[in-house]
Amino acid sequence: MRATRSLSGTTVSSIFTLLLVLCITLAFGSSATAKSASSTGDSVLVILDSAKKVDYSIFLQGLEAKGYTVTVRSPRDESPLLIEDGLPNFSHVVFLASDTKNFAKDISPQTLVELLTLGTNLVLTLGLKQNLLTSLAPEFSLLLPPPATPLVSFFPERSDSPSVIPIAFDTKSVPNDTFSVLSQVENKIWFSGTPFALSANPLLFPILHAPAESFAADLSDSPGLVADALADAAEKGGEGFWAGSTLSVVAGFQTLIGGGTGHGNDAGPGEDKQSRVVWVGGPSLFSDEFATKKVVEKVETERGKSVVEKPSGNEQAAMDIAGWAFQEHGVLRIDEVKHHKVNQTDAPETYTTNDEIVYTVKISSFNPTTGKWERYSDLKDLQLEFTMLDPHVRTALPAVRGQKGVYSTTFRAPDRHGVFKFVINYKRKGFSHLLHTLIVPVVPPRHDGYPRFLSAAWPYYIGAISTSVGFLLFSAIYLAGEVKEEKKSKKE
Amino acid sequence: MAPKSASSIKSTSAVQTLFDAYTSQTSSRLKFIDAFLVFLILSGVLQFSYCVLVTNFPFNAFLGGFSSTVGQFVLTASLRSQVNPENKGVYKEVSRERAFADFVFGSIVLHFFVYNFLG
Repeated sequence: MRATRSLSGTTVSSIFTLLLVLCITLAFGSSATAKSASSTGDSVLVILDSAKKVDYSIFLQGLEAKGYTVTVRSPRDESPLLIEDGLPNFSHVVFLASDTKNFAKDISPQTLVELLTLGTNLVLTLGLKQNLLTSLAPEFSLLLPPPATPLVSFFPERSDSPSVIPIAFDTKSVPNDTFSVLSQVENKIWFSGTPFALSANPLLFPILHAPAESFAADLSDSPGLVADALADAAEKGGEGFWAGSTLSVVAGFQTLIGGGTGHGNDAGPGEDKQSRVVWVGGPSLFSDEFATKKVVEKVETERGKSVVEKPSGNEQAAMDIAGWAFQEHGVLRIDEVKHHKVNQTDAPETYTTNDEIVYTVKISSFNPTTGKWERYSDLKDLQLEFTMLDPHVRTALPAVRGQKGVYSTTFRAPDRHGVFKFVINYKRKGFSHLLHTLIVPVVPPRHDGYPRFLSAAWPYYIGAISTSVGFLLFSAIYLAGEVKEEKKSKKE
Repeated sequence: MAPKSASSIKSTSAVQTLFDAYTSQTSSRLKFIDAFLVFLILSGVLQFSYCVLVTNFPFNAFLGGFSSTVGQFVLTASLRSQVNPENKGVYKEVSRERAFADFVFGSIVLHFFVYNFLG
């Protein structure tokens, strides 16, 4: 206390400026957290031998240029931990140390899966040798060829080793309802590594297919053995042979809402976490070597064949793959759900059977360039279900013209009372899943809620009224007769 | 042919005698009650055939209308049996006034339910 009192005016002002500077740095620091292109966070852990860091400098610098803070951890380093106190330390993890056999204790298939349930995105690269990732891959429905059998192709003719393959991305290979991760990649992508087949898991989708002429084989055997294996496979009609464009070299996997069960129960918008995994057949796709390696193509011109050198598409592909995995693109969310009766504005407590219901939902998509959520109207096949165990109503939920990001439909509640749910369950490959359920009771009409004075019912009304009138007339005449009889009897 | 015609003559004569006996022996009060009963039967038959042939859609309305005729018929029929002088031995403790009061009370209750049902 004495010390503070004795402070002179100049020191007080200098403390003030210090505080100011601190505040400014804090403010900048916090704004930097929202600077990256990802919708889920900007800390990236790259698991990579620090000696090999220089081999991936273009990729790592590309990530930093996008606003990510990149931390490199050697596979055997004990820190930084992936998960600390039950919380993930990083928003995204890139696994480039695929040739490593032994890892630090906390890098295990279990932790990787736990990271996914905690909302961390992963980019996993497979190596030719067996390690924890090759044993984890089958859990994601990837079927790997035997160890040490890389993808090889003798086409197109080139000076490189047959296991270094230029792959062209074909936009047509992506179905309409799937997000096209590599749509901006124009040049061929150099690839070297192991291919994999995808089994029928609805959450898994191919990002880049292997070329049609390629196959998985171990070329370090004597050349005759490979030729024999090819001949054998041809005899068997290709059975058991890892070949062709059904194989993939890059595949994406989007986890379900709620950490895997897919029934994140009524989690409000934004409360539920989904994470993404990209499996890549080899880490070299991200390497500087392939990013700078020219693709030599023979192009037929008027004068004959000429050799053209083109840059490779690896740099763009690496950024796009990481961009999808880090939830920059194809990220959707439900902002608001409204429902009410036709010609009303507020949601009622209960609906009556056969009510006309208006259901409106607002959907946003993340824009990585601005870092903001923007209303998104481009979903063509959104559906609404009105379910009580089964969907009693399943109807298209089209975008409303003129209102961005608003989807609305009007439907008649079924002639059935019970506890119903509005369900939006939109799962498309490469897009975030949209899942929203809202419980509403549907009750039968109240006793006075039925229609009245129907024309068809008039005979019954007339019947009842005539009975009553008849009763009144009958009673009156009957009583009149009684009185007469009494008079008569008195006279007598 | 002959026996049949004879039987038809017999039956017509039986109906004829029944009708004659009814017109001559029944008191005008009972005839009046019977007229009301016939009206109720006709009304009920009409409503039922409308329900079967055209629509039973507001089923509650049909129930109301039809049951009003049926209920009124039952009440009126019991009034008839209670005021019939031939039944005096059966209803010793029920005076004619009491019978009519019961009839009116029952009818009012019935009509209350009927209009509730009509909707």
